[in-house]
Amino acid sequence: MPQSTIFVQLQGDARVIELAVAEGVTESELHKALSKAGVLIDPELFVFIDEAEEPVSREGNRPTPSVVHGARIHISRCRRIKATVHFLEKTIEGEFPPGTRVRKIKQWATHEFRLDHKDAAEHVLQICSSTKRPASDTPLHTLVEGNECAICFDLVPEKRVEG
Amino acid sequence: MNTVKPPDQSLLESDLAASEFRCGEIEGRWRHITTTWPHVVIAVSAAQRTNAPPEYGFRFECTGYRQSPPTARPWDLTSNTQLAVSSWPTGRSIVPSVFRPQWKDGTCLYLPCDRLAIEGHANWQHEYPARLWNPSRGIVCYLEQLHDLLNSIDYTGAGST
Repeated sequence: MPQSTIFVQLQGDARVIELAVAEGVTESELHKALSKAGVLIDPELFVFIDEAEEPVSREGNRPTPSVVHGARIHISRCRRIKATVHFLEKTIEGEFPPGTRVRKIKQWATHEFRLDHKDAAEHVLQICSSTKRPASDTPLHTLVEGNECAICFDLVPEKRVEG
Repeated sequence: MNTVKPPDQSLLESDLAASEFRCGEIEGRWRHITTTWPHVVIAVSAAQRTNAPPEYGFRFECTGYRQSPPTARPWDLTSNTQLAVSSWPTGRSIVPSVFRPQWKDGTCLYLPCDRLAIEGHANWQHEYPARLWNPSRGIVCYLEQLHDLLNSIDYTGAGST
């Protein structure tokens, strides 16, 4: 049976684990493949595919058509992650699936703060109380610490490289 | 006779085969073109813009990898030479601050994660901490920055467009 390469990411961990699974794998087969690869699936953990809103069922026998070649599989303690974004004196909060990319959080924040096209281009998300500015393709759950289901960002100006 | 590869070359080859790099390749963010040590050529995809290419080539010089950052310049994948200035990526504010063909004759990018660019810029250590080279992440650290720049709202296309 043809195989697909998938990339597994764990909560709070930037590393990527590469795994081969059969095309058309079912939900339960996906869980078995993860366990076999040494990625322990604690009963409290959720498995999400890419930016899906809902987790994959542990025992289900439905096929998982979104497990395509290159799909990212997110293993998270959180069904939703609360994102808080500060901009000037304003704060917004929203809840997102664990696999949501930072790019989508920025789009949501610049829309909510009503930044125009130019201002949106010149601002970037920075993790609160740090100097970390994760790349746009970073999944949200890889940035949270410990068992938290929350992440905080400041929307800050992106400085031109000068000097 | 077997020859032992230097550690910098071995580390680069290891990173080009690592999951983080392959994930970016399969997602279409970048693709490895060639390695001729100490150079590696990688294409980075760019957002669609009128009369602009879907990707830009970059040639990285990787001596001392990963402890030392690589240095990169835009590269013409067809002619395998330095990219003509008129074809360099440009934008409104942030992108042109990085892609400066006049600086050091276009031999590197004006990025804090670039080995040549960081020389003489001690102030960048605290002014641009998020753009510094991170040896634990390797070349993906540089590629992620290029990909974000070329897919940002700020990016407007190639210089001559």
